[in-house]
Amino acid sequence: MSYVLAKSQNNEIHEAGECGGAVTSILKYLLDEGLVDGVLALSPQDDVYDAFPVFITDSQDLLKTAGSYHCAPTMIGDLVQKYFFDKKVAFTVKPCDMRAVEELIVRHKINKDNIYMIGLNCGGTVSPVSGREMIDLFYEANPDDVISEEIDKGQFIIELADGSEEAVKIHDLENEGYGRRKNCQRCDVKIPRKANIACGNWGAEDGWTFIEINDEKGQELIDGAKKAGILETKSPSEPAVEGRSKVENIMIKMAKKNQDATYPLVSEMDEWSRCISCYACRDICPICWCFENCELNKPYFKDEANIPPLPIAFQGVRLSHMSFSCVDCGQCDDVCPMDIPVSLIFDKLQKKYYNRTGYVAGVLDDIKPPLYSPEKTEL
Amino acid sequence: MADDLKIVGLLCNWCCYGGADTAGTARMQYSPNIRIIRVMCSGRINPSMIFKAFQEGADGVFVGGCHIGDCHYDAGNYKWSRRSKIVEDILEEFGIEKERFRHEWISASEGEKFQRTMEEFHKTLSKLGPLELK
Amino acid sequence: MFEIKHTLCPSCSVGCGINVILDGEEIVGTFPYKRHPVNAGKNCLNGRNSIDCFKNKFENVDLTNSIADASNEIKSANASDVSVICSGNCSVEDIAAIKDFAESNGFNIGFYANDLKNFEDVASYDEIANASKVFVIGDLLYENPLIGRRIVHAKQNDAKIYALSKNENAVTFNIADEISNSSVQEFLDKFKGEIDDSSVVVFNYVDEAGDLDKIESLNCKALPVFSKPNTKGALDIIDSKSADEMVELFDNTKLLLVFNDDVVDEFDYDFTKISKIITFACCENDTTKISNIVVPVKTWLEQDGSFVNAMGEVQNFNCVIGSDNLGIIEVIGELNK
Repeated sequence: MSYVLAKSQNNEIHEAGECGGAVTSILKYLLDEGLVDGVLALSPQDDVYDAFPVFITDSQDLLKTAGSYHCAPTMIGDLVQKYFFDKKVAFTVKPCDMRAVEELIVRHKINKDNIYMIGLNCGGTVSPVSGREMIDLFYEANPDDVISEEIDKGQFIIELADGSEEAVKIHDLENEGYGRRKNCQRCDVKIPRKANIACGNWGAEDGWTFIEINDEKGQELIDGAKKAGILETKSPSEPAVEGRSKVENIMIKMAKKNQDATYPLVSEMDEWSRCISCYACRDICPICWCFENCELNKPYFKDEANIPPLPIAFQGVRLSHMSFSCVDCGQCDDVCPMDIPVSLIFDKLQKKYYNRTGYVAGVLDDIKPPLYSPEKTEL
Repeated sequence: MADDLKIVGLLCNWCCYGGADTAGTARMQYSPNIRIIRVMCSGRINPSMIFKAFQEGADGVFVGGCHIGDCHYDAGNYKWSRRSKIVEDILEEFGIEKERFRHEWISASEGEKFQRTMEEFHKTLSKLGPLELK
Repeated sequence: MFEIKHTLCPSCSVGCGINVILDGEEIVGTFPYKRHPVNAGKNCLNGRNSIDCFKNKFENVDLTNSIADASNEIKSANASDVSVICSGNCSVEDIAAIKDFAESNGFNIGFYANDLKNFEDVASYDEIANASKVFVIGDLLYENPLIGRRIVHAKQNDAKIYALSKNENAVTFNIADEISNSSVQEFLDKFKGEIDDSSVVVFNYVDEAGDLDKIESLNCKALPVFSKPNTKGALDIIDSKSADEMVELFDNTKLLLVFNDDVVDEFDYDFTKISKIITFACCENDTTKISNIVVPVKTWLEQDGSFVNAMGEVQNFNCVIGSDNLGIIEVIGELNK
């Protein structure tokens, strides 16, 4: 593990990218050298609130993916699994993306040798529709005029077309029920250390990207990009490294505080009474990979007559299948038509499992959830 | 009321099922509320089977497996033992008292242990009364 | 190549956005469209299954022959014996073309909107969420979940929810303060005194046409929710018929032209009485099964167009994938030749 500061040698990328444009440059290097068949990266569509992964095979197209999109809470794990299993592909990951990918790797659903994970440090994401509402309510700006947004120093900052900036404390936004998604508020994995490299602006000088190199593949990546002349690097100063870990620790502390506050008993949540058995939570879950073979589709659990279903015969079954591997990506909350905070109970059970076993989904080294281990141990 | 209690018992073919058999051939008396389902190993029991039993109206679920070290398939009971913790954690969340779910290691020769366990479990469930799921 | 594209959900008139995933020339899945103001990336099961219509397209149908056959049938028929059935499944542009086609040829035209009608001024989805009382007719939480979600929001904003459904186990009942299994008329009469200008009536069925007038005469906003994506848009262009009027139309028809609809499923009518049925449809349904000629047409995924959602918003959608079939407008162009 080592740290570098990196800057793109390509002016266009440096201009368009966040901080030093290192992420886009590294993706360009991978494509140009033919190390991957393609790159999956978030690209804005109609506006900054609307981004989803696009598959890029020509490095010319990479420029439109440059920059960060906090209002596009996507998940890459299941896409890689379903559509890129036999392809060599590089993609950017938030910590939850990385954790989902790691969980899928131990399930042999993604081939580790085929992928490059470029990690992005993440302080949290914002849902686009409620994010726009938030800007309308708390900022003196029209949500349509926002050209980019940023989370920095505990503030959600928007930049407008005329170059001006406006910032509001995330804490204040979240007290009012806005701000980051609920699962992001309690997420305590901020730096994706299982990705080959983890990039971000924490601790970085202006115009540079701070990169933590996590493994050999990551080191080769940086060395290769440097050799290809697309990346310039230097060592970060001691205070820069410290500054970065300070930011991380503050974020984690904030998350732990939120963890203490949440988590009701499942049986005390009246939201289940409006469940319509649409299976959206299951279908979007990156860890649930059984698809049509899911136990919930079996005749002994499929019950089209009783809606809402008995929670234990629906979420209970899902919990027993994968809650110990829940990466708390919050996708289930996002897609529930009835706004049921599904991720809450899965994250709660993962935390319980952690207390029993020390297992945190998708961040430990090459360990399967102890439930699957063939070893002769009891808990 | 205690006579109406429904207990589902999932018993391993190689030991606990034999234990129940031993209890039976020795004419040991125990409450008749248990409905036994024979499985080939406690390691093949999924948590969802326990949930299904509760969903269908069981007031208690009992799982009987081989003593640690005696598994016919080497490590099945270790797997079950780890899984049972998850079951406990989940049941707690759904408002099902943890006493309603019990598992024991009972060998084929331990007819007496089987009898005793059933009596105890029945007594516990009688105190709790029928399960009301919501 | 892997690609994600925006489109609209065609399952009902709520007008949710949905993203589809393309792998080469195949549509392989859906992806949440979180930016869409109507549903914020949430889709019900029907919505996520809507792409099945693309997967189950007609194969082994010779397009040129089927259009030629249809054209011959239409030309040899007596114009007054021909009836054109239009549907809320068609886009605004298609409906305009169908209407034009029927009128210029002197054909009868039939359009059924489940006995619902257009209201001058409907409640918006946000108005439901912010209402102080919501009167829900039909199990909207289950049948139109993304409107149901607005009712849930209203409930969270301390609104009082009054629910009416024929289904005793309606999901909407679980969040309602007052529940009823009565007729729509009795329901409205019972709570008439409580309806004020901060109330909203949202409904997806009525028992009889009189109920509509009753709802319209109330001192509050109402929102009819239709079962097809563009019924609202169609109602702006064509006058709808009641179920009885539709049956009368069928009785006087010798050649029935059905555009993207499933009349066999919708009407309890012996369609074998009609001597010829020609359907223009995207995928198989009960009507295509008994049709004499089936002309495959483009699904909504294969063409540009627009739907008008329940609250009257015109939403455009773009073609996401190429097609060998023709759209309804192009088919009509061929028929007119």
